[in-house]
Amino acid sequence: MIRLTWLQFRAQAVTAAAALAAFAVLLAATGPHLASLYAADGLDSCHGGSSCLSPASYFTGSLSQSPYGVLFLLSTGVILLAPAVIGLFWGAPLIARELETGTAALAWNQSITRTRWLAIKLTVIGLTAIAVTEALCLMQTWWAAPISQAVADGSGAGVAQSRFSQLNFATHGITPLGYAAFAFALGVTAGALIRRTIPAMAITLAIFTALQVAMPLWVRPHLAPPDHTVRPLTSLGGAGPSQTGPGGDIFTLYALNIPGQPGAWVLSSGAVNAAGQPVSTTPAACTSVGGTGVSAGAQGRAFPPGQGPGAFVDCLASHGIREAITYQPASRYWRFQLTETAIYLALALALAGYCFRRLSRLS
Amino acid sequence: MMTAAIEASGLGKAYRRAWALRDCTLVIPEGHVVGLVGPNGAGKTTLLRLATGMLAPTCGAITVLGQRPAAGLAQLARVGYVAQDTPAYARMRVADHLRLGAWLNPGWDDGLAQRRIAQVGLDPKQRAGSLSGGQRAQLALTLALAKRPELLLLDEPVAGLDPLARREFLRGLMEAVAEHGTSVVLSSHLVTDLERVCDYLIVLVASRVRIAGEVSELLASHHRLAGPRRAPGTLPAGQDVIEQSHTDKQSTLLVRTDEPIHDPAWTVTPVSTEELVLAYMNPANDIPARRPQLGVAS
Repeated sequence: MIRLTWLQFRAQAVTAAAALAAFAVLLAATGPHLASLYAADGLDSCHGGSSCLSPASYFTGSLSQSPYGVLFLLSTGVILLAPAVIGLFWGAPLIARELETGTAALAWNQSITRTRWLAIKLTVIGLTAIAVTEALCLMQTWWAAPISQAVADGSGAGVAQSRFSQLNFATHGITPLGYAAFAFALGVTAGALIRRTIPAMAITLAIFTALQVAMPLWVRPHLAPPDHTVRPLTSLGGAGPSQTGPGGDIFTLYALNIPGQPGAWVLSSGAVNAAGQPVSTTPAACTSVGGTGVSAGAQGRAFPPGQGPGAFVDCLASHGIREAITYQPASRYWRFQLTETAIYLALALALAGYCFRRLSRLS
Repeated sequence: MMTAAIEASGLGKAYRRAWALRDCTLVIPEGHVVGLVGPNGAGKTTLLRLATGMLAPTCGAITVLGQRPAAGLAQLARVGYVAQDTPAYARMRVADHLRLGAWLNPGWDDGLAQRRIAQVGLDPKQRAGSLSGGQRAQLALTLALAKRPELLLLDEPVAGLDPLARREFLRGLMEAVAEHGTSVVLSSHLVTDLERVCDYLIVLVASRVRIAGEVSELLASHHRLAGPRRAPGTLPAGQDVIEQSHTDKQSTLLVRTDEPIHDPAWTVTPVSTEELVLAYMNPANDIPARRPQLGVAS
């Protein structure tokens, strides 16, 4: 049965191998040059710490203008799409096409139980799906190592974002293999239920996409109880930690990162008063710092010359307003990776289990 | 008593809205080439699919060669099945199909498979998708035969074939059956084909067995009587009227009886298999219940 599975899977396997090879060639051809740019910017000799901050920012900032920024997004896109493609083209037809073309009657009337037929198909193709996706991921991780290092050394800019950013978290580490296993099992299940390939593909794509959107937005932040910190406001100067967007009597506050917590994933941030309650109303004394509604958009507030946002922040700080941040520390990265991958693998196994039950009663 | 090839009691299969087969009770004996004949929708395909285990019954019970269908590897190996439209993997070559058979069936008879492929003129390198309907049917039959099953189930295998391909297919089937003594259940609504190959007939109408028996016995016990107009009720006991038509002066009856017909008023002619089957298939004919040893469902 393993031989038959390979015989029938040969065309797809060849396609996957060709795609992997093309990906490898592209990254292998450009990777060394990207690394040399990293070195040329002085990042390999800065020994971490604040001395790296400036070259790192330069390096990540310049990515947006170089082909490497495009290549980074492109390769990231390939890893994001691979599980979906696998679910659609390997998963959905697995049972649906057999039923659609009637070949199920041929396959399931040989001297092999349907359970064994499915077990081998799922194992062989599922493991291939996992291997292909994870191989893409590892290749890109190697290629993008200078970018990841620059982000760790300095701060993210443009396409270069922290490991916890949605694009990076879903394309690095081990999450891609979880997605691949899940998408494949989802496709197989949809095919077994709907019994027609094309609708099963559509459903697979819809559900997988919905889950990939829902996961980072609503599930991932809660995989571990977040940490909280309240810290004084500091003036925004250059790459300061906070930005304020004063608008009329309302102001908002966003923390981008946390001093002393490099790479932390900021889930939410906001201003609190001295009693620790959230505030968004500008204290009366501060409304005069910078005029209202002068320019800078409908909701915006323009600051008078010589009075940057710093003066406004200083005014807020002098009224006891501090910044409350909810975040996941960078040290939890692998815990999050493991948890999310485990969730997807568990879902994949549950779907596979359902397929076995379904198949024993099918057609 | 011999085990039955297929034995069903109160067997039913319902889909969401309708019953495909309902309350079907029958015994199909082993050691025959059984023709399962009936109009479209009688439940033939459903019955065969239940027998392969491709379908699970909604109610009732079915055993195949004394076992639950598809109960395990041994049972799967004992039953061969050629589905309607004789499916094959379009992108796989003929030779690949034979490899599939060899890989998946411990009892695979590769000599038989290769011989048959050569005999029917299939190119091993050709992809199944480019085969004609007749060639594909031969491929499907070869797969089922080379598995060396005890029981071969064929669901309308020749329905889509032209007359020549049909004859080739049935001849191949008969040769193989004669060689290996396989029991066969063949469903069809083409009576002429059944006549050629079957020695046992079951007429299934709306899930009910209307008549079942060996073809020779059925032909011996059915007669067409023609004579002066006469009410069927006046026939002697033991003569069951299956079909009747009357003109002003004449009556034509199709009668089932084990006794010879002595009444000199009748002109007695034998019936053909086709006439017999059509008479039993006609839902307008009210078939009198009798002779449970032939497996007639009441």
